[in-house]
Amino acid sequence: MTADIISVKNVSKFYGEVLGVNRVTVDIEPGLTGLVGPNGSGKSTLMHLLCGLLRPTRGSISVIGVPPDKPEELFRLVGYCTQYDSFPNGSTGYSFLSHTLALHGLDGVDADRRAWEVLEQVGLTEAARRRIAGYSKGMRQRIKLAQAICHDPRVLILDEPLNGLDPMGRAEMIDLFKELAGAGRHVIVSSHILHEVDLISDGVIMIHGGSVVAEGSIRDVRGEITAQPLQVLVRCDRPHAIAARAFEFAHVVEAQIVDEATGVLLRTTDAGAFFPELGRIILDSGVEVETVTPADESVHAVYDYLIGDGGGGP
Amino acid sequence: MSGSHGWSLWRRQITVLAKQEIGRSLFSRRSLAVYLLAAMPIALALLRALFLPESQRAHAAHTTTEFAEVYHFFILRFIVFFSAAMLFVKLFRGEILERSLHYHLLAPVRREILTVGKYIGGLLASAAILGATVVLTIVLFYLPHGRAGMAHLTSASGLGEGFAYLVTTVLACAAYGALFLLAGLYFKNPMIPAVLFLGWELLTPFLPGFLKLLSVVHYLGSLEPVPISQGPFALMAQPVPGWLAVVALIAISVGLLALGAWKARGLEITYSTE
Repeated sequence: MTADIISVKNVSKFYGEVLGVNRVTVDIEPGLTGLVGPNGSGKSTLMHLLCGLLRPTRGSISVIGVPPDKPEELFRLVGYCTQYDSFPNGSTGYSFLSHTLALHGLDGVDADRRAWEVLEQVGLTEAARRRIAGYSKGMRQRIKLAQAICHDPRVLILDEPLNGLDPMGRAEMIDLFKELAGAGRHVIVSSHILHEVDLISDGVIMIHGGSVVAEGSIRDVRGEITAQPLQVLVRCDRPHAIAARAFEFAHVVEAQIVDEATGVLLRTTDAGAFFPELGRIILDSGVEVETVTPADESVHAVYDYLIGDGGGGP
Repeated sequence: MSGSHGWSLWRRQITVLAKQEIGRSLFSRRSLAVYLLAAMPIALALLRALFLPESQRAHAAHTTTEFAEVYHFFILRFIVFFSAAMLFVKLFRGEILERSLHYHLLAPVRREILTVGKYIGGLLASAAILGATVVLTIVLFYLPHGRAGMAHLTSASGLGEGFAYLVTTVLACAAYGALFLLAGLYFKNPMIPAVLFLGWELLTPFLPGFLKLLSVVHYLGSLEPVPISQGPFALMAQPVPGWLAVVALIAISVGLLALGAWKARGLEITYSTE
């Protein structure tokens, strides 16, 4: 349904002569979407454009039917957690949130109630009356997230939201993102930590040098990279048997026994033909198979293939 | 999320924004310089009260003219001008420099409402600070004259003069405030246009009549209750009628504010280039 889609059409943004993003066209459906790319690739620029903090040099954007140059309508639907680690001088966690809620039109009592609800949701109830300037990096990240979700938006845009959070905090936030996306919302998360994007995303948008190099589900994106053979790891009791039979097929270009002969890593140039044939090999040879998993159907692998230099993470 | 809508929402948002700006303008560290400026006429009046020769204490007649000159040349042209510059420039520029303006731009607030809310907050704060300065300075000017001074202050003409100075101060805050809000939106270093405009305002007595009409202080001067000597240049432009001065100052304020709102509408967040 068009009304549920975030639509970016042929959008370019230049800062003077410096390219921000170039001819970006994407449609983002509800669910959790990972926005990945190296530093300076244009992720934050794209997020700013979606929220009207930047205006496109050309092209058009519609966030579930609302153009970003109408903040009075847009931010009823959208919450944005920016990368900026700065806050209004002198604000406490509570005053920061209640001020935001008052701007949303809530009266004192409702703003107060909702502020405490959200503070509890992000685990900042005890620190609510303290000045944000004294918060740890993780707490500041949480209060920014609280500001983004306090009005229960349909679209949540999060620029590196897991930065500064400890492992427990990351897990809690990832659960929260999944819960919000599961409820039919758009959750767009940029992160340079690719395995986390892999864990949480239904789909990805890969951006490099200001251009979108791939978008869609990880599997679809991987499927389109035909230049790189698909890697499939088969864990079984007799990997040599599978390796020997696999070479009967022309599309299998490599078979590698791995992990002390507990599995075989196969590389194939024809994923469509490979899986039925693998099934036949297994049945014919009577090998006991534990798992069959694609080894490079991950954000990390796809990123490596398309952009290179791996992404990484801490 | 439920809440108010339309006019009621705009009113609520303007109130929230104005309250925040009043708090920042009156109680934050950035207001210290404004308080110091605003205290200067009071300190001057206090020194005058302490060191006024005994022979002059008996006569309050010259005090009216004396205060009129202090008001025009010191309070209006210097204190009000620079206080407004410091308070209003920071409404947007201050938040850009502390990298927190985006929080306001991420709220469901029309940029025009944001501009008006911030302006009203700055106006109320500056009017409170500078209004208090004017009242205290007047009182301290007449205090050394004892009963005669107090009689003048509480008389109809004394109260009328005081009221006229207050209105002039508030309108000065309104016009200069709108100008400096606009400067804060357009310029990375708004003090450069502020100094240029100060130069223009200082040149007013030397300007031909039609150019005087482009000066804020020309209209403000027309509202002052006690005429001051402008020397030979006074012949070149007559003061405008009071009502016209008020209308002109309001029109200037609204016009500049509208330009500010238009600029705010297209405002982008690029902190790294600021």
